[in-house]
Formats: sequence, C-alpha cells, structure tokens
Amino acid sequence: MSENNEFTINELTLNKLLKEKKSSGFEFKSWDDWFNSLFLTNSTDDSQQLMEKVVYNFFHNKDFEDWIKNFALNLNNIWNESSARNLDPTINETYDMKNHSAIVIGRGPSLKKNNHLEKLKNSNYKGSIICTDGALINVLNSGVTPELFPNFYVVTIEPYEIQTTLYDDPIVDKFGSKINGIFSTLTHPDAVERARNAGIKIHWLHTLFDYNEGKKSINNLSSLMVRAKKNNGLPAIQTGGNVGTSCWFIGWKILKCATIGLIGMNHGWEEDDPIETIMSHGNMFDAPKIDNDSQLFKKLFPKIYNPEFNSTCILDPIFQYYSSALKEFISRSPSEITTINATEGGSLFGEKIHCKPFEIFLNEFNA
Amino acid sequence: MKANFSIKKNSDLENDSTNVESSTNEEITEEEFEDFIVKAGAAGSFMVFRSSKKEDELGLDEL
Repeated sequence: MSENNEFTINELTLNKLLKEKKSSGFEFKSWDDWFNSLFLTNSTDDSQQLMEKVVYNFFHNKDFEDWIKNFALNLNNIWNESSARNLDPTINETYDMKNHSAIVIGRGPSLKKNNHLEKLKNSNYKGSIICTDGALINVLNSGVTPELFPNFYVVTIEPYEIQTTLYDDPIVDKFGSKINGIFSTLTHPDAVERARNAGIKIHWLHTLFDYNEGKKSINNLSSLMVRAKKNNGLPAIQTGGNVGTSCWFIGWKILKCATIGLIGMNHGWEEDDPIETIMSHGNMFDAPKIDNDSQLFKKLFPKIYNPEFNSTCILDPIFQYYSSALKEFISRSPSEITTINATEGGSLFGEKIHCKPFEIFLNEFNA
Repeated sequence: MKANFSIKKNSDLENDSTNVESSTNEEITEEEFEDFIVKAGAAGSFMVFRSSKKEDELGLDEL
C-alpha cells in the first residue's frame, strides 16, 4: 500500500468483494462496518478458546463435588426411568425427519417484546415445543400448554438446587402429566423430584464436559455406572454451556427434527435494556463497577449489528461465550438441519442460520 | 484498478452515531473474562465440551 493509503486490486477482485459484502447482508452498510464484522468473526476462535478454558476451570473447581453427589443420588432413578433415547421418533420406521419441526423457547426479552408466546398460542403449529426450564412457568401461564401442543418437552441441564423453583408452581402441577422432561444425569435431585411430583415423565441423558479425558472422566465413569444395570447407555449431548443450546441439540439429535426455530433466545441484550441489567447478566449478580465509556466496557459489552433483522444488540461476556458456541455448532450441523432464528433480533446470525420473523416461521411450518 | 482508503480518525468515530457495531478492536482478555464469569458463574451455567475427536463434540448417540 502506498503512503496515500492507496492500493491496487483488479476489477474481478472488486466484484468478488462487492458480491461477498452483499451476501453478508452488508450491501447498504459501510465498508468499515463490513470489515469489522469479518474481523469480529475471525477473532472469535481465539477468544472462544480463552473463554471456554476459563469456564471449564471455574466450573470444574466450583461444582465437581456437587456433580458427583447429584449423580449418585439420581442413579437409582436413572436405572429405573426412561432414557431420552426413548423419545427418538425414528424408532418408527415410517418417520421422516424432513417433515418435522420444533420450536425452542428460551426466556430472552424478545419473547415479551415481540409477543411471541401469544402468537404461538394462537397459531396452528403442529410441531414440537422444546421449552427451557427457565421459561416453563411463563410459557404455561401464557397459554402455550401441552393441551394445545401435545409434543411438549422441558429440559434441565444445570446441576443447581435453584432449578427446583423452575418446576415449583401450580401451573406445572396442572400440566405436568402431559409434559416430557429431559434431564441431565447431573441435575440436582430435588429439581427432578419436583418435576416428577408434578407428573412430568422423566427422561435422562448425559451432558458432555470431560469425556475427552478418557476412561477416568466423569462422563465415562458415570456412563459405566448407568450401564451396570441398564441394558443400554444414554445419549450424551453437547450443551454449548446453556440450556437453550442443549434444547437445540435435543431437537436435532433426540427428537430428530429437520427444522428448529428459536424464540426467546436472543443471546444478547436490547439496546434499551437498563445498563445495570446488561452488566449483571439480567440482575443475576451485582453489576461490576465499570465506566460505561471505558475501553474495558466496550470489550466486555460489544454492540453487535444483526444485518438479517437490521437490528443491534449488546453482548455481555456470558452471551459472547454462549453465542459463539451455538453459532459454531449450527455451522457444523448437516445440511438437512435448518435452524431459524425467529427471535427478530439478538446475536444469532451467520452461517446456516436463517433469520425470519416468527409469524412467517409459523405460517411456513404450521402443518 | 486503484482503490483508496479514506481514514477516519478515532476522534471522528466517537462522534459517529452510525458506527455502532463491533465497537472495539480489542478483544477481551482472560483476566477480564475470568473476573466476570467468577461473579456470574455462581448464578448458574455449564460448559462447552471439546474433544480431539471433533465429531464427538456434536454429541454421542449412546454413552
């Protein structure tokens, strides 16, 4: 490049650049915006590895004993209750995956903002509902129930006692017997027991985290203990670090749905969300004291432009971690799996992620 | 064909309300992320599984 920042490219290269810029959704955005978007994508691998290392060490140190205790207390029930594999519809030879879809429901702010539960309740949707545990009570109270949507599933992967509260509500008792629950073998036994008491049919699976460490890994040891009495092992899923991503994997790997729509899974904050909410990952802890104008703030809470919905959102470090992982796994899914972000915003866009308004999704997949 | 970059200085960027995306060139450091996750982690989360067998990362039919 010359001192005048001048450089030479041939016309063919320029045309390729223009075509790529357009196909990336940045046709009417500046070159600077597009380049920044590309750099952000390319830098994701390194920062994702960094974040995963931190999270692995943190949870391994903090939760190791609880995982073992939970698993030990669950083991007798795991032996006696269903495997999540029993939910696999391909047992029926006539099942054709491409005709089936699912909606994963998270508890992100777009659910309320875009009235998605009301739209779902009033739809003629015939596919599966895969509800994150954190959204369950709100979803049932909204009228989205297993009476309207018979293929209704709820998923818990986290090992904490607080998950019990997500099932502790009269509305769960009312509809529990019509809901299939999918639980990690590491789930806190009180949470599973509360769901069981509500009538939810329990199905178990392993959540992968250390299987790469070989024979002595917790994943491998727990699978051997399960197999000691059960004829078969259990399916083992990638969680992507959160229950929403787990639901997406369950839609694909367990329920064998070719199309998976996402609502309430923003994996990011709205620009008009209170700054304290953003900085505390939804008031889950005291917001760190960081100057909103500082470089550190901009690094921790980058603003992202979603060209598919022409919207912006703000990531916090946890959503950076979740979003990068889910986007990677979606990009690695086979061509027969279609993932549709119907949140109408958020940070989930890119390779193999189709973005469309929820009403359009419902119109397309109402059979 | 010759192209030319028109360079915008940082001070211009700060006043440009349309430049909202990817608002920093710097990446989060391990310490900065760790500090945040330690505060947040107590509220619950899980971890991404990685393996030298890349196909295992997408889950196992049976374990």
